[in-house]
Amino acid sequence: MAAAVFPAWLALQPGARTLRAFSTAVSPATRAPTPSPRTTERTSKYERPLRRKALPPRTEKMAVDQDWPSVYPVAAPFKPSAVPLPVRMGYPVKSGVPMAKEGNLELLKIPNFLHLTPVAIKKHCEALKEFCTEWPAALDNDEKCEKHFPVEIETADYVSAGPSVRNPKARVVTLRVKLSSLNLDDHAKKKLIKLVGERYCKTTDVLTIRTDRCPLKRQNYDYAVYLLTVLYHESWKTEEWEKNKTEADMEEYVWENSSSEKNILETLLQIKAAEKNLEVNKEELLGTKEVEDYRKSVVSLKNEGDNESTLSQYKESVKRLLNLT
Amino acid sequence: MLKGMTRLISRVHKLDAGHFLHTGSQAPQNLAAHLDNQVPVESPRAVSRTSESDPAKHGEQHEGQHYNIPLQDLKAVFPHGLPPRFVMQVKTFNEACLMVRKPALELLHYLKNTNFAHPAVRYVLYGEKGTGKTLSLCHIIHFCAKQDWLILHIPDAHLWVKNCRNLLQSTYNKQRLDQPLEASIWLKNFKTANERFLSQIKVQEKYVWNKRESTEKGSPLGEVVEQGITRVRNATDAVGIVLKELKRQSSSGIFHLLVAVDGVNALWGRTTLKREDKSPIAPEELALIYNLRKMVKNDWHGGAIVLTLSQTGSVFKPRKAFLPQELLGKEGFDTLDPFIPILVSNYNPKEFESCIQYYLENNWLQHEKAHTEDGKKELLFLSNTNPGQLERLCAYL
Repeated sequence: MAAAVFPAWLALQPGARTLRAFSTAVSPATRAPTPSPRTTERTSKYERPLRRKALPPRTEKMAVDQDWPSVYPVAAPFKPSAVPLPVRMGYPVKSGVPMAKEGNLELLKIPNFLHLTPVAIKKHCEALKEFCTEWPAALDNDEKCEKHFPVEIETADYVSAGPSVRNPKARVVTLRVKLSSLNLDDHAKKKLIKLVGERYCKTTDVLTIRTDRCPLKRQNYDYAVYLLTVLYHESWKTEEWEKNKTEADMEEYVWENSSSEKNILETLLQIKAAEKNLEVNKEELLGTKEVEDYRKSVVSLKNEGDNESTLSQYKESVKRLLNLT
Repeated sequence: MLKGMTRLISRVHKLDAGHFLHTGSQAPQNLAAHLDNQVPVESPRAVSRTSESDPAKHGEQHEGQHYNIPLQDLKAVFPHGLPPRFVMQVKTFNEACLMVRKPALELLHYLKNTNFAHPAVRYVLYGEKGTGKTLSLCHIIHFCAKQDWLILHIPDAHLWVKNCRNLLQSTYNKQRLDQPLEASIWLKNFKTANERFLSQIKVQEKYVWNKRESTEKGSPLGEVVEQGITRVRNATDAVGIVLKELKRQSSSGIFHLLVAVDGVNALWGRTTLKREDKSPIAPEELALIYNLRKMVKNDWHGGAIVLTLSQTGSVFKPRKAFLPQELLGKEGFDTLDPFIPILVSNYNPKEFESCIQYYLENNWLQHEKAHTEDGKKELLFLSNTNPGQLERLCAYL
């Protein structure tokens, strides 16, 4: 472009007649097309068009069933002329649309996975298969896997081309185990959950231990297994100070010895006293069906929180207990 | 001559107004017939009003209809209990009409069948903001007043835990704090509401106020109330004494006691009050709250306890909270357990229709589209059948 401009500027000079041919020859299809070249057939090497005409993009020649992994065999930046998708990206101007893909910097900035289409991955898998061993035939569903192999270890290996093969992220080890597969009684399970804190997920009953404090993967794996062992054994032990567990420490609501029980007992005793019915004792009062219903409703209310069903259940049980119609 | 003319003109005007009402309400009557085929083709007044003004006789058939409370009754029964917007509405329409709704009917049914020998049952009205808990409580209070119960009404317990000035250290118990202003206001209103009982009930102990004043055993309760009103320093203690005496004596059968507290979740939450050294005050350190907590326990008999949970006016509670456990907290729930929770919900279509009718009859809705089907649908959508929201919307029309 600069070469083309230069002679044109020279041509503008009044005395540069010799360069006139030059300048006209320099105006090929890229410039405003002159109807006929001023000089005919006086093309030299320089006059050959310095810029090729822009070819139509490769996408127009692509067949629908082409081999895509050969277009993008490795991770490569987004090439608008090589990707046949009408993709748009960018914030639109007022009453406009996002920018098209040609010359779109946004599409270049983001990572693309065009080299990892399912077809490409299948090919990778096929290539890797010869290095793999066979999956054991007996483990054909998830339950069997869990039954025989309850502990899952997750590690990641990183391969990259660079000055060093080592990657500090490779030392992370994640150990996952379901508590239902461990031999824990009620007290042990509660103690274990309290010990691990956030690492336990209530909905899936999975304990996840993620270690990366040692420099090597092997060491981290040993540490994770050690942690699991220690947790298991410690949760089975009962310490002296565990006797001082208060109501605030309880994980779920326990009705026995709670204030709710006391209240209902007092109320019932007063009712009985009002009816001059003195031959009752506590166990009998607490054993009736109404009290049982009430107990269930209070426990569900406290454990599950307020919602329509628990509240209406509670209301019904209280009504029956207090003999209200 | 002139007088006759003016009278004629005024009569013509009245006719015109009547006409307007008549034509205006014809359309909704047809619509009402559309909406609910069982509505008999009477005047639309039947949909929104009932002439039964004794709450004791309210039943299922009156559901959705407004009943009238005579204005003198209003002053006697509710010296402080009505929500401010309702008071404004009463002043505007020159009549006090409450809608009869299901939660109140349910409560009335329970109250009519109370066994006064059994410990007092606690009923808790809960619901979202603006659904009508306070007015349902007022309906109940009116019923009990008509039945000649003694009404112990705390209009808004939240007022006792926030923005109180002049906290004094209690003379009775050094750890607690007095609230003379709130206590004296409440005593005045209590006196207005329950004049006739104050001379009947006698105190059963001698109370010494200070070196010179004391109330002897056997003197009427009115004296204690007077003492509290005149000597503001002792107002909180007077309130405490009133509560204690009433609790003790309600079992004797001379009177039935209704304890009605609006915003009872204030008793167990936090307060916004601080001492001089900026340390926060817990609710139980306030003598009024402490005594009130004793009142809502069910260790007495001879009456009933009706409570309302309210997020409006509560401190440190999120706006969307309305369920009992959320507002009461663990402590409150454990203290009130066992109670009967009663949900107060938004209007159902019949009640909504009735409310709109009531506003139309009082010429409150001036917008020309207010009585059309579309207008009503719009109001229904905008307010989501929430009574409080509907009332606010109609104020603009």
